[in-house]
Amino acid sequence: MNADTSIKKNEQGLNLSLKERIEIIRSNRYFLMVFPFVMLALIILVFSIATQGNFFRPSVLKGVFSQAIIIGTCATGVAFIYSNGNLDISIGAVLGMAATLGVLTYNATQSALLFVLVSMGSALVLMTFNCTMSVIFHIKTITVAIVVIQIYGAITTLFIGGAGKIEIPYEISASMEDGGFRYIAFFIYFAFCVVIYHYTKVGRELRFLGGNANCARQTGMSDSKATYISFLMTGLGVGLAAIFSVIDVSAVSVETGSGLGMDVMLATVLGGMSIFGGARSNAYAGLLGALTVAALNKGLLMVGVSSAFIQAIRGLVFLALVYLNSERQSLLPSRVQF
Amino acid sequence: MPEKGKVLVEVKDICKNFGVTIALSHVDFVVKTGEIRGLIGENGSGKSTVSSIIAGLQPPSSGEMFYQGKPWSPKDVLEAQDAGIGMIVQEAGTIANISVAENIFLGNYKKFKKGPAIDKKAMIAEAREALKKIGVTDINPALPTRMYDMQERKIIEIAKCIYNDPDLLIIDETTTALSQNGRDVIYKIMHDMADAGKAVMIISHDLNEMMAQCDTLTVLRDGVIIDNIKKADFDADDIKQKMVGREIKGHYYREDTDGYGDEVVLKADCITTMHSLLCFDLELHKQEILGIGGLSDCGMHTVGRALYGLAQVLDGQVLITKSGTVIKNAQVAFRNSIGYVSKNRDTESLELNASIYNNIASTGYDKNNVGPFISPRKEKAYVDKQVKALMIKCQNAYQPVRALSGGNKQKVVFGKWCADDADILILDCPTRGVDIGVKAAMYQLIYDMKKQGKSIIMISEELPELMGMSDRLLIMRDGEVSGEFFRKDGYDDRTLIEYMI
Repeated sequence: MNADTSIKKNEQGLNLSLKERIEIIRSNRYFLMVFPFVMLALIILVFSIATQGNFFRPSVLKGVFSQAIIIGTCATGVAFIYSNGNLDISIGAVLGMAATLGVLTYNATQSALLFVLVSMGSALVLMTFNCTMSVIFHIKTITVAIVVIQIYGAITTLFIGGAGKIEIPYEISASMEDGGFRYIAFFIYFAFCVVIYHYTKVGRELRFLGGNANCARQTGMSDSKATYISFLMTGLGVGLAAIFSVIDVSAVSVETGSGLGMDVMLATVLGGMSIFGGARSNAYAGLLGALTVAALNKGLLMVGVSSAFIQAIRGLVFLALVYLNSERQSLLPSRVQF
Repeated sequence: MPEKGKVLVEVKDICKNFGVTIALSHVDFVVKTGEIRGLIGENGSGKSTVSSIIAGLQPPSSGEMFYQGKPWSPKDVLEAQDAGIGMIVQEAGTIANISVAENIFLGNYKKFKKGPAIDKKAMIAEAREALKKIGVTDINPALPTRMYDMQERKIIEIAKCIYNDPDLLIIDETTTALSQNGRDVIYKIMHDMADAGKAVMIISHDLNEMMAQCDTLTVLRDGVIIDNIKKADFDADDIKQKMVGREIKGHYYREDTDGYGDEVVLKADCITTMHSLLCFDLELHKQEILGIGGLSDCGMHTVGRALYGLAQVLDGQVLITKSGTVIKNAQVAFRNSIGYVSKNRDTESLELNASIYNNIASTGYDKNNVGPFISPRKEKAYVDKQVKALMIKCQNAYQPVRALSGGNKQKVVFGKWCADDADILILDCPTRGVDIGVKAAMYQLIYDMKKQGKSIIMISEELPELMGMSDRLLIMRDGEVSGEFFRKDGYDDRTLIEYMI
């Protein structure tokens, strides 16, 4: 048979299995861009029906945004660490300690500027410490994180003392909350991250290293430099988030930042990013995912799901997404192409 | 003994699509007992696809198959294995972190079960037998597989396959990864099986090998069978023409005897590495194509890695002569305009999950910038130029590299270094596993680079390409240069082989 005619004939009768079709959709360049928006829309839709529209009340939306901006700032930053192929779950503890030091500074000096600078500075220093431990001693970042969570937590508790909580004057937190500080600060940080991530050498390099470190090294890229940059970018975000969480409740407590690590991870995968690093990553993944997580948390609470149960649901969602997201290698040889 | 000439496998009107890509289009053919059938065609012509469908690695999109007279639609490799079809795949088919014996009996542990535990001793003994069956005694089945190199791992796969005593053996692009010894092991198995009334299907890009070993050649092009040719009618030029659909000249290497410059651009000064090399010297000149050949364990691959700063140099140094820069690591090499194409393409030269675009762009972060920022416009031009020039077969540049065929993957690797415009290029087995069409394009590229004043080191296990391309050819043995030959003097392969062994 003539090759040309037979190819034409074949094109009309594409006969694909369901698995192949899913694989094609999953590998589509636009899939990862669209998927997070669909998830967010779906969650909003479900809860607006389940709460008979109460989900759109201003106070509810405000709560969702307040939570989302904290998670989103951290997730945007930690995206650098994930795409570099590392994991760090200590950001909750770092946030707690940075917030505590910031509040202590404010209460001692009454200076909002120093409050901001000390919070962000201490988050940067702590993240740099994590990174240095990992780079110098060749310990996996996740292992370092598990250890420093304990250390940072203990120091924070020590600073906060017996009351378990230090307040800052309501006026200052209210003025920062209303003055648009949060939104401006967030968007400056976000834009900064997008530019670094997509349009600079270090951003590209750290993603490439996360995808295939061997290949990246042979193309002249440096591991430790990229690792430092990723941790510093995250540090900036966590410092900002520490300020946001203080002005949200006018106080810092031993509970500040707890559970944040999980929320951030969930936000990252909901945003369509791989926590296994590499090319499949976007800078805006964290923000979208954060909105989705915050909406999910709030919505579940509103329809009367107990908070313990919410934890379980979030865990299941997380597992399902990681499963979908991972590139599993089958043990039997097979040929997956698309 | 089963009689010869009986139909063993019949493939009828098989089609296979990967998304919109058509890999096979209405393919029909028959494999008979006692036959060695070769499948030949360019990269992406469907050779691996059709054989992997027969072996149960993937289902066809449409069409039917018969095996031993019965309808055949295996759901996975294990079913095919049980039915007597074994396949040695092109990609690595062993798992690095388990022992050789465990690899040989992967998915077959049941017979060694003693209650809930596995009788490792029995398994290792049996694995030793399996290796002995194919004449291999120097691989220890108790050791973890990662202790063995690619060639030895292939041998392990062969042992695994033969242990199951298949009626049909499919060998997919395996021989190019093997040295002559390994190849001889495979050839012997193939002919023994054919003599015993079984059948063999083999895929290889080495046309000479195929013509020497096969009884019938099936030529595929773009997923369609072009011809079935009997041994008596084998004619190299005719087969090549059928493979690519256009006339190909008998030779595709350079034909000139242009010399090279006197200036030394890169120098290894008495370097010693952890393995292989002891006080090794080398000089690369401007505009020179320096070939390095030898058996696969002669140390030539280490030379390439050491020159690029990848293998640790314990004593001595690698120097860029002009600036006096010492190459301590790959970053220094890269910064000083040296490029390196690894022989392990998938693990070292490419980020498989990243797109063609990102892979090629990876060498240009310092070139496509405006101030501290990468210019998307410049970068796109940087990538597009290569995709076009190399005619990389893809839907668009945003496709992940892992979806490409072997030859096209290698084109992406070349693309990334061509774009980089490095002054010195170290190529380790640059044409491994690619078809003659892509090979010809690469030889032309290498030659063009020389013309542009670049210096190239080409390390290869294939003598013809070394002889065809090199200005100067070093033959290595046991970590030392055993012979040096010059293009202008001329030489023949028999002399070279004497220096290799």
